[in-house]
Amino acid sequence: MKLSDHEKDGIVVLEPKGKIMGGPDASLLHDKLYEFIGQGKKKVIIDLSKVDWMNSTGLGILISGYTTLRNNEGELKLANVTEKIQSLLTITKLIMVFEAHDSVDAAVKSFK
Amino acid sequence: MDKPVITGNTMIVPSDQEYLADIDAFLEATLRGYDADESVVADIAISVSELVINAMLHGNKSSPDKSVTVTINKVNGSIRITVSDEGSGFDPESIEDPLAQENLLKEVGRGVFVVRSLMDEMDIKSTPHGTTVTISKAI
Repeated sequence: MKLSDHEKDGIVVLEPKGKIMGGPDASLLHDKLYEFIGQGKKKVIIDLSKVDWMNSTGLGILISGYTTLRNNEGELKLANVTEKIQSLLTITKLIMVFEAHDSVDAAVKSFK
Repeated sequence: MDKPVITGNTMIVPSDQEYLADIDAFLEATLRGYDADESVVADIAISVSELVINAMLHGNKSSPDKSVTVTINKVNGSIRITVSDEGSGFDPESIEDPLAQENLLKEVGRGVFVVRSLMDEMDIKSTPHGTTVTISKAI
């Protein structure tokens, strides 16, 4: 997995690419997410458009970021959820937890 | 064992998640050789990653002296994969329901549930000498 990031209108956008399956790759996403949280940036979007698939380790990272931000008056939202990840979120009922948008722009607007 | 070994349709890896990507590459290359479609390949790859992580962490307790064995076969139009560890076994009945309200926001505990959901069949044989999980899915 590769990871890039940028900010849009003051909102952090993380863009993982590839597969989120655990090990060093998963640590990369977890650590970057917590780096921004540590900087006091509490509005985060994870753009999943370039993620081939993730397993429950990836879901755990999303949940960790979601709960940490929520407990600190912040919010984590998802954008461009692929069919494979949507399926995973549905079977695990996490679809009820995460707010997902069809694009990063839509997710950014939803913060306002 | 200090690095992965591939023999035919079997891969043996040390208990280190650093090798997850190697297992995935071996798995996906083998499955494409069987003409499995991309969605099925992804479902099997997700499932195997779950089982291998469980084998490394919960079975072998990340011991560098213990390995995980992954074997892939095509049987009557289905892919059958076994993942074995050298741990001391566990009770499959002890796994909590990840869909229970109190477990919904837990960061771990979904792996076996995800595998059961994605695969056609899943069988867990656990003894004090190790656990072998067999999964299958039609292609």
